[in-house]
Amino acid sequence: MKKRQAVSVVLAAAMVASLGVTAYAEESEKEVKNLAVNDLAYTGELTIFHYSTSEESEGNGGSDGFRSVLAAWDEAHPDITLTQEILANDEYKTQIATQAAAGDLPDVFLLQGMNTVAWAEQGLVMDLTDIIAESPYYDDYNTAYFTPFSTSDGSIYGYPVLTGGTCTVVIYDKAMWAEAGYDEFPSTWEEVEAAAEYFSEQGIDTIAFGNGGQWQANSDFLSTLGNRYTGPDWFQSLILKDGAAFTDDEFVAALAETQYLFAETNIFNEDYNAVTNEDAREYYIAGDAAAFIGGNWDESYIAATLLESDEEKYNNMGFAVLPQPADATYAPNSQNIGLGYAVAFNANLADDPDKLAAAIDLAQEITGPAFATFVGEYYALGGLTVVDDIDLSAFDQITVDFYNWSYVDTETCEIYDSYISSAVWDVLNTDLQTLMNGDITPEEVAANAQAAYEENY
Amino acid sequence: MLNATRPKNKTIFLYLLIPVAMFVFTVFVPLITALVYSFYEWKGGPNKTFNGLTNYIKLFNDTTFWQAFGHNIYLVVACIIGQVGIAFILVMMVNSKLVKFKTIHRTFGFFPSTISAVCIGMIWTMVYHNKYGILNWFLKAIGRDDLTQVWLNNTKLVMLLVTIPLIWQFIGYYMVIILSAISGISTDIFESASIDGANGVQQALHITLPLIKNTMLVCITLCIAGNMKAFDSIYVMTSGGPGTASMVMAMYGYQVSFGQSNMGYGSCISVGIFVLSLIVIGGSQALINRATKGKGED
Repeated sequence: MKKRQAVSVVLAAAMVASLGVTAYAEESEKEVKNLAVNDLAYTGELTIFHYSTSEESEGNGGSDGFRSVLAAWDEAHPDITLTQEILANDEYKTQIATQAAAGDLPDVFLLQGMNTVAWAEQGLVMDLTDIIAESPYYDDYNTAYFTPFSTSDGSIYGYPVLTGGTCTVVIYDKAMWAEAGYDEFPSTWEEVEAAAEYFSEQGIDTIAFGNGGQWQANSDFLSTLGNRYTGPDWFQSLILKDGAAFTDDEFVAALAETQYLFAETNIFNEDYNAVTNEDAREYYIAGDAAAFIGGNWDESYIAATLLESDEEKYNNMGFAVLPQPADATYAPNSQNIGLGYAVAFNANLADDPDKLAAAIDLAQEITGPAFATFVGEYYALGGLTVVDDIDLSAFDQITVDFYNWSYVDTETCEIYDSYISSAVWDVLNTDLQTLMNGDITPEEVAANAQAAYEENY
Repeated sequence: MLNATRPKNKTIFLYLLIPVAMFVFTVFVPLITALVYSFYEWKGGPNKTFNGLTNYIKLFNDTTFWQAFGHNIYLVVACIIGQVGIAFILVMMVNSKLVKFKTIHRTFGFFPSTISAVCIGMIWTMVYHNKYGILNWFLKAIGRDDLTQVWLNNTKLVMLLVTIPLIWQFIGYYMVIILSAISGISTDIFESASIDGANGVQQALHITLPLIKNTMLVCITLCIAGNMKAFDSIYVMTSGGPGTASMVMAMYGYQVSFGQSNMGYGSCISVGIFVLSLIVIGGSQALINRATKGKGED
């Protein structure tokens, strides 16, 4: 009996030790460099609320970088008790909206672009315009990323955070398209329609898409397709309330094209309105679809999954912009990219200058060179701060391809729902689903969105 | 003697105060605050502006809300027939002398009501899935490929499809309530009825049903109240879609409050749900009382 006890104790100890060793090994594998450790007068608690859960950070470079730099900052400032509240993104959005409604925001949190104007008007978030201008890293900031977190008077309310990633990328299987007779992904929808006939005969969907959550058609499709019809000035005018309207002919044409492509052609999987992007990308992975349209988060999932399960299919991954509609006149090489969230402060932090200084230091580091170096070196991704000479030689061809596609070879346009107001997009997204089923006209969708825009923005 | 063991009034009052205070705080206070907020334009945050009846006028003209109300009524009717009705039939079958392993039937019948609504939603999403779902698989297996479709994207069928899991889930719940009511009926009555030559159906309709009338009323009220606030499994299956084809009132209130951060109008919708539920429950009870008046007593 005694002997057995002794054995179990030894085994348990060995297990605990091995856990410790692996944990240590994992952490030491990726090192946080370039973290500036400044002297801070503040001692006490600082709360931060974010959505980079440990599950999310596996394979997602932005999350991993955020968590790692945050942990390094926490370690470097032992006098400050950093309290992290972490929820998955969907729950985070509900929770932070509830806390904002109750006027009970945490010290530091992640602000979504489309809430900026409303929350700033309510006096919930601190105006950071002057503070950001004094940042030691200001010269290296990609200032275009600040627009979703600014109001029309030029005030800025947050440090854009995590990694800049596209919301609309066409991921296609080069081998399947080569068989269909295409060396690369078609640049017009007519060609895609022609290809769809070939793929239908094979019993394969041409493009997999999932709009079951109702936001995907907006973020991952219309935002880019709309830009092809309206050009960037129209959306700027909409943001600045400068005369543009959802009912403008150009935007209605984009809606009509969306309806045509989904309801009238057989390009997409027939359950596009019933499944989410998570389901649709599995169709691509399983080879049931020759291409997939989604965001950078889908790209990282597909790449990670294929790398493990099917290396040949992984090496056949190609990236393309949304094809151009025949009657669209703008930016055929554009894709919507940006940073959807920014580190923002509770307006009450102004009452405690020492605490505010600590929060500023934290925000600068988790968006600064330490973060940029981390995600650049380990994931070939970029954030708010630009670091020169990212050495891509350590990455494989697919990662380099996606980096170049995202940051070098394409034009950029805005992500619709980073701006304006959630009330407008919620109305539009609900209608879009009906539109894609062919049960409502583009004109009605535009009129409803315009009514919501006039009432809420 | 009784008075000797009876605690002082003050003690009773103090003990009761705790649950009453909790009830007031968790149910009554939110209800009152929702009523107050419903008169404000409040987009979240500290700023609220009083706007009188504007929210209520908007609610009155809000086609999505009334469409959702229609869906709730559909749910109520379907679930009274499906949940309470089928539960009653199943109880009659389980209670029949011909059925063996009664406890097993009862246990398995109750099983779905113990599963969380989110899991139910996910299970049935898989059942309806057009590529991997058992429903389309079955249709293909019997050679009816023409009937296969993307079930949850069918605007005309989607309400029925989200109702079926709800019925399936709660049959067992009502079975337990009805079973316990029936166990209170003396077996002498059934024995003498069968000696008189009444068959099972006649016994069920003319003996059991009148004797458990009050329990059935409770079941129907619970069923109405439950379905007026239906939310979870439908949210998981369709989020109210496609478009608003399976939108129910509670989900619309949630969408307006949190999706659109319009807390004032969201509160107004909550008050609307409360009032409409009261009317539907009160109305249905009055209707049942009127229909059954004079019956059963004579």
